[in-house]
Amino acid sequence: MENSQFVQFASLVMLAIVPYVLASQGTMLAGQTGLFIVSQEGIMLVGASIGFLGAFFSGSLLIGLLVAALSGVLFGLALAYFTTTLKLDQFVIGLAIFFLGLGLSNLMFKLAIGVTLQPPIIPTLKPVAIPILSQIPILGPIVFHQNLLVYFSILLSLFLTYFLYYTSWGLSLRAVGENPKAADSLGVSVVRSRYVTSMLAGALMALAGAYLPMVYTGSFTDGIVNGRGWISIALTFFGGWSPQLIFVGSLFFAGVEILALRSQVLGVGLPHQFLRMIPYLATIFIMLLTYKRVRNPAFLGLNYDRESRTSV
Amino acid sequence: MTEQSLRIRGTGWLSALGRALGPYVAAVVASFAAAGLVLALMGFNVPKAYATILFTSFRSANGIIQTLIKFVPLVLQALAFTIPFKAGKFNIGGEGQLIAGAIGAAAVGIVFAGLPAFLLLPLVLLGGMLAGALWILLPAWLLYRFRINEILTTVLMNFVAFELIDYIATNVWPDPAAGHPTTIPIGAGGYLPLLVQQPPLHAGLVLAILIAAAVYVYTDHTSAGYELIATGANERAARVYGINVRNLFFLSLLLGGAIAGLSGAIEVAGVQHRLIAGIQSNFLLLGLIIGLIAKGNHAAVPFVAFFIAVLEVGASAMQRTLMIPGEMVFIVEAFILLFVLLSDVLRRR
Repeated sequence: MENSQFVQFASLVMLAIVPYVLASQGTMLAGQTGLFIVSQEGIMLVGASIGFLGAFFSGSLLIGLLVAALSGVLFGLALAYFTTTLKLDQFVIGLAIFFLGLGLSNLMFKLAIGVTLQPPIIPTLKPVAIPILSQIPILGPIVFHQNLLVYFSILLSLFLTYFLYYTSWGLSLRAVGENPKAADSLGVSVVRSRYVTSMLAGALMALAGAYLPMVYTGSFTDGIVNGRGWISIALTFFGGWSPQLIFVGSLFFAGVEILALRSQVLGVGLPHQFLRMIPYLATIFIMLLTYKRVRNPAFLGLNYDRESRTSV
Repeated sequence: MTEQSLRIRGTGWLSALGRALGPYVAAVVASFAAAGLVLALMGFNVPKAYATILFTSFRSANGIIQTLIKFVPLVLQALAFTIPFKAGKFNIGGEGQLIAGAIGAAAVGIVFAGLPAFLLLPLVLLGGMLAGALWILLPAWLLYRFRINEILTTVLMNFVAFELIDYIATNVWPDPAAGHPTTIPIGAGGYLPLLVQQPPLHAGLVLAILIAAAVYVYTDHTSAGYELIATGANERAARVYGINVRNLFFLSLLLGGAIAGLSGAIEVAGVQHRLIAGIQSNFLLLGLIIGLIAKGNHAAVPFVAFFIAVLEVGASAMQRTLMIPGEMVFIVEAFILLFVLLSDVLRRR
């Protein structure tokens, strides 16, 4: 009995890591080239809205995920253009793109669906059991009996670790975020690296958003992201901009989220409002615990000007 | 002085104003054109929509007063952002501080409901300012002591505030007759006096204008304000010069929090007379847009805030009469910001 409760809890945590892993790995990837994105909350909302609408009108969750990813690529492209080509302040542009995403996500939903008392519902992502592996006791049902995006999150984290630390491409990418001038002088294109990572980051964030209606609610509401975008920035700092630690951190944040939810259901004496504060307060507390350990990419948040003589 | 030299100075002043306003006008026109294209493609009546957005505020006494009431929280939220922004810090927690301020004001107004107005009203407003400053104290201290990024901590405190106001309005002083989390009203002594009786316009407008003017004098005409700007322009140079930048960051955030708290207190004392979940509306986002469009220039903030208030009042009228979602106007505002930022690039070249 205790065992099955643990399995149930752990598999819920695995289900809840997806938005954190995707949004934070996207943040990390762009950060490795020095681009600090703060539009997560807005891009996730767009992903949630477009992903929902795509799935609703096509009848296919896969198409919903694809159009969401595409919209994220466009947002990433805009971010890269404003910051890398036009060299505008990354925070200010990030906020402007956040506003745009917030407005667009609500507008598209209202125009396509209208204001209804009973919003339309899409089916949720079904778990896909992996043959043989899902038969392993305890580990099987927790890890190998999940939906495809859970597998994608795990594989993405493994791939990014390999890519960034064991390939020369990854090394050049990290060089762009550490010392763009040096990278540039060795023939690595700073501009192209930033465009590519920014578009990938946008796609991952939009997928993170699209996951929410497809797994949690079945529909889109304007409060659906509920701070997860901001938490994933904190999570990226917590993970020290390394993909493997970000994955571990996602387990922790998803765990806090599920614990807060479960204690509301079970009733632990505290009013539910205070339980719902826990993920945000825990995030601040974690930032306090890890601020010393964190080393950010040296050029994080700064724009690179090839013709400038000073490097920072 | 001869008349001629005065006239030359006059035109110089005018053309400077024109140069400053030019990009803004261009940005507004471009944003409306872009949005108009989308609206036309969707088959809406574009001229009618624009007339509604731009002129609802000026067609009736009610429109003007609605706009002024909206202007108050918008200008205060913008200032809560721009004061730390001048020093290079980002306070994205204005709605959390607004809620905290509203809670503080309501708590004072309910607990001391029997006090006469000359005591209760100042206490209610002060309670709001203190609570707003208190809400930003943790992020400001974490920045001061550990250099922890204030963008994230101020945002996260917003989500904590959403839950706190829900708790207070449903568990501490609930109004059982209301269908939505709402507290009982504050004492009548805590109401802001009315400038206009019908339709009602509260005196928070005077407070907001006074504070906007005081902030302008502080940042643009005092040496303390100059230290703020110098720190924002080049933190390292400011530190070498001997400015205590850590103190400055801390105090600018606290001042921003207090002003955001006051905006919450004014919503309670002037508009709602009680605490209501959702009292923060979308004032934070609009405040950020105003602050960024004005680029932190405190002479411009009140005018931009008034313009955005006009758009917002027009947006709700447009949603009511033409069934065009109000988000359309929010997107126009975001576009205005982007175009204003783009004008910087053009000027650089």
